[in-house]
Amino acid sequence: MAIHQRPATPDSVLWQHEAEAHDDIATRTLGFWLYMMSDALIFAALFAAYGVLDQTTNLAGGPGAHQIVHPLAGFWQTLAVMTSVFAYSLASVAMKMRSQPGVILYITIALVLGLVFIGLELGDFARLIALGDGPDRSGFLSIYFVLIGTHGLHMAFGILWMLVMIVQVARSGFTPSIVARLLNLRMFWQFQASVWVCVYAFVYLRGAF
Amino acid sequence: MPVHLQGPWSFLFGRLTLHAIPYDNVIILFAFTLAAVAGIAIVLPVLYFKKIPYLWREWITTVDHKKIGVMYIIVGLVMMFRGFFDGLMIRTQQVLADGPHSPHFLDASHGYIPPYHFDQIYSSHGTIMILFAVTPILTGLTNVIVPLQVGARDMAFPYMNALSLWLTAMGAALVMVSLFVGDFSDAGWSGLIPLTELPFSPGVGVDYWVWSIQISSIGTTLNAVNMIATIVMMRAPGMTWFRLPVFTWTTLSTNIIGLTAFPVLGVALAMLSCDRYIGTHFFTAGLGGNLMLYTNLFWIWGHPEVYFLVLPAFGIFSEIIPAFSHRPLFGYTTMVAATFAIAGIAWLVWLHHFFTMGAGPGVNTFFSVATMLVGVPTGVKVFNWVFTMYRGRLTFETPMLWCLGGLFMLLAGGLTGMMLAMPAIDYTVHNSVFVVAHFHCMVLLIAYAIFGAVIFWFPKVFGMQLDERSGKLFFWTFSTGSILVFVAMFALGFMGETRRLDYLYDPHMLPLLIIQEIGIGFYGLSVLIFAWMLFVSLRNRNTSLESDPWGTSRTLEWLTRTPVPFYNFAVTPQINARDELDWRRRSGLDLSHPDRFAPIHMPGNTMIPILIGICSFGLGFGMIWRIWWMAGGGLLAIIALVIFRSFQHTPGYMLQPGEIAAMERRTAASGIIAEQPSRPPLMEAGAH
Amino acid sequence: MATHGQDPLLHSEVRQASTGGYFAGYAASIVLMLAALLVTQQHVLTYPAFLWVIFSLVVIALVAQAALFFGLGLSPAQAWKSVSLILTLPLFVFTIGLSVWMFHSLAPRVMPDTMPGMDMTQQPTLLE
Repeated sequence: MAIHQRPATPDSVLWQHEAEAHDDIATRTLGFWLYMMSDALIFAALFAAYGVLDQTTNLAGGPGAHQIVHPLAGFWQTLAVMTSVFAYSLASVAMKMRSQPGVILYITIALVLGLVFIGLELGDFARLIALGDGPDRSGFLSIYFVLIGTHGLHMAFGILWMLVMIVQVARSGFTPSIVARLLNLRMFWQFQASVWVCVYAFVYLRGAF
Repeated sequence: MPVHLQGPWSFLFGRLTLHAIPYDNVIILFAFTLAAVAGIAIVLPVLYFKKIPYLWREWITTVDHKKIGVMYIIVGLVMMFRGFFDGLMIRTQQVLADGPHSPHFLDASHGYIPPYHFDQIYSSHGTIMILFAVTPILTGLTNVIVPLQVGARDMAFPYMNALSLWLTAMGAALVMVSLFVGDFSDAGWSGLIPLTELPFSPGVGVDYWVWSIQISSIGTTLNAVNMIATIVMMRAPGMTWFRLPVFTWTTLSTNIIGLTAFPVLGVALAMLSCDRYIGTHFFTAGLGGNLMLYTNLFWIWGHPEVYFLVLPAFGIFSEIIPAFSHRPLFGYTTMVAATFAIAGIAWLVWLHHFFTMGAGPGVNTFFSVATMLVGVPTGVKVFNWVFTMYRGRLTFETPMLWCLGGLFMLLAGGLTGMMLAMPAIDYTVHNSVFVVAHFHCMVLLIAYAIFGAVIFWFPKVFGMQLDERSGKLFFWTFSTGSILVFVAMFALGFMGETRRLDYLYDPHMLPLLIIQEIGIGFYGLSVLIFAWMLFVSLRNRNTSLESDPWGTSRTLEWLTRTPVPFYNFAVTPQINARDELDWRRRSGLDLSHPDRFAPIHMPGNTMIPILIGICSFGLGFGMIWRIWWMAGGGLLAIIALVIFRSFQHTPGYMLQPGEIAAMERRTAASGIIAEQPSRPPLMEAGAH
Repeated sequence: MATHGQDPLLHSEVRQASTGGYFAGYAASIVLMLAALLVTQQHVLTYPAFLWVIFSLVVIALVAQAALFFGLGLSPAQAWKSVSLILTLPLFVFTIGLSVWMFHSLAPRVMPDTMPGMDMTQQPTLLE
């Protein structure tokens, strides 16, 4: 308790005139990481819903997972998203090397691969909807579309963010704000890879068993 | 895939027609007149005294955590008044509509409110009180106090802080608009499923409910990020973890809950929106939907939300009780441990809101035991407060009265909560007003803490104390109201009154209903006394206060000047003890002020948060009325504003030592309602 | 707010980037998912065994990504991220696990005819 704390002495310091500035970049990356924890709970809730809506009753006569998922096709998506994340990671190595062109080049590669991923996913969706198995077909298909679509939406926002960062790096180089944003975008993009691992295993692979 | 709705729809106005405005409803007309008169009473003086530039510069575009906190509290108090009015209407309807021969007025067959309108009133009462009154007020209090308690100049992300405020405010605005344009949800504050589904609620009420909550809860989540980052990263030198004031600890744990629970609510509401807009089958009764999944997801958020609200209240008790017992808090470490134990168990108890769903005995037992476990750390806290008071020199200033009243509420609410934790009892009283009385006791304890906190910290922010005499009168009328309403409600619950009734069949309930009506009358009186308290305090204000006007406060926020200057601490303090101010006072150092100053870097104002707020209002309003151009435009504008902001240089400005010294001498000139000196912004350091 | 006068590229989180680490994370993710794919295509395991294998591979992949991509660890720069992740992990388990558990316990009680292998005459009682 406070009573037992040492009393003040003549050389007790009361004011910090030279208090060091707070680490701005670390604060921003921590804040963004906390947002990602929050975002992860969105996916947790969606996975919980998927676990609940994955029963025979929820098919309502529509197709089940094993009829609509293709693990091998899904693997190409896995490859696309992982390679994209790897490319973005190389962009952060280029940033460490102070190479503006390197950063822009690798982000562009990551961006293109992200587009490939979204293209594959939209192709899947279009095929299902054309067959009449859209999200309004059954409870299971609702959660299937929304779970995968939420991940896809995150990817789309990541791509938009990359476009902005390419412009900013080209215009202003590595200002503290831009460096913090590049670090945050790296976490965001890697986070999409982690979520995809879960989606791939529990929707595509488990569904195909 | 978009769901086709019956009824008129136009490209320009969506489903909105002139019929959506209920100008033929006397009650709403009265509410509208009241709101309009209040609005004019506020706007006219602002125009007359030419205060719009001041409001814009000092408040609307501000990123100062204290001003943002104050605005949060104002939003919350306004909404609390609205929620109180809803409660008054519910009570009056029930006392009038008891028994088959009850009178009827207006176009109701019993009482004075027809069922459809009554359903909207209790739905908005619950939604408003929890999400738009108590949540913003507590967020505001933590916003004002926590950066001061950790010795920071501002929050970790001042700009995002303003954004959180405006998102919350716009959610509240949507609720208010629903009163005059269209309907509000009539499906209860928790969104009874499948009543919220399109076939059963084809109007816009549920959409208002969904979008107002969705927008404001994004604000709450962002605020949680901000608060955690502030506490982790922005502490002053020497402010180690076990020197943090308990209010800061509870704020940390509560925001961990906020950060992780609100997304689940977002998912539940988004799925409901998918059902309503694009025809998915998450929660529909047919085609493979699962009704209880909604209930499950809602309460995964809903129960942690209860602790999200109650933990800051516990923190407030832990600050006020030691200050007026003249003793340090008993059992600091166990208090912190109990806080985190409650936050952890909060995630394991949500099924007790629907024990009657019919899950297996294993499941019900698990959640029952987990619920009872919450009683252990809560009991630890209660005993700690009691031991703090034991052999203390108690003085009964108004904040202390509110805390003691709150402890009684906690006891009543907590013990009935233990009863409800048993599935066997829960099956008996499920959906009765016994449950309603229980959770009102819990939320009232939070309200008690809020009033105590507002009175306790009022001088810190505004540089004047609130009137003690009227404050005590406010406490006693409010408490009389609480006792009359809720003791009677517990009894009515045992007599078998179920929730949400616009008509009661049993004339034997009438005496208790009349007692409740008298109680709500006392509440109404207390609202008037609250207004009177503000008026008297303003009239008799004494603005020449010491840093610590109570004379017995213990924590860091009382170390700054009162009222607190916009830069918080002229020089960052070095923390030497757990209760820093108390430590300095006992060492005779509490009047020591820094003798020299260094330049302070301050963030500049920005209008982007309010613009994003307005766009999110447009997005919500467009989605509610299916005005697609407005919704899409709002969303695109938000994205564009965020990108625009990222291209702006926002370097802020420097406050020079000479100015700080001058302002430290004349503290009134640097308080939060004073105008700040204008100043050219810096060039961004480190660019290019 | 600007960092006062320091070169942002000297920040520890920028210096943390390493081609080798990222490549290891990339390779681990691909190889583990490939292994999971092969396990699925082979159809030799029973369903519970299959679930355990898939689950283990996912956990290994996520740990590899946490360590190699995110660079989580106990260094001062990363400690708070690690702590917040560790505090959040149980919530995933609670949210998903308890939800699935309660609905699996609910289904045989409220929808006996739709559960495969469930006979209407053999409903579980409350005293199970």
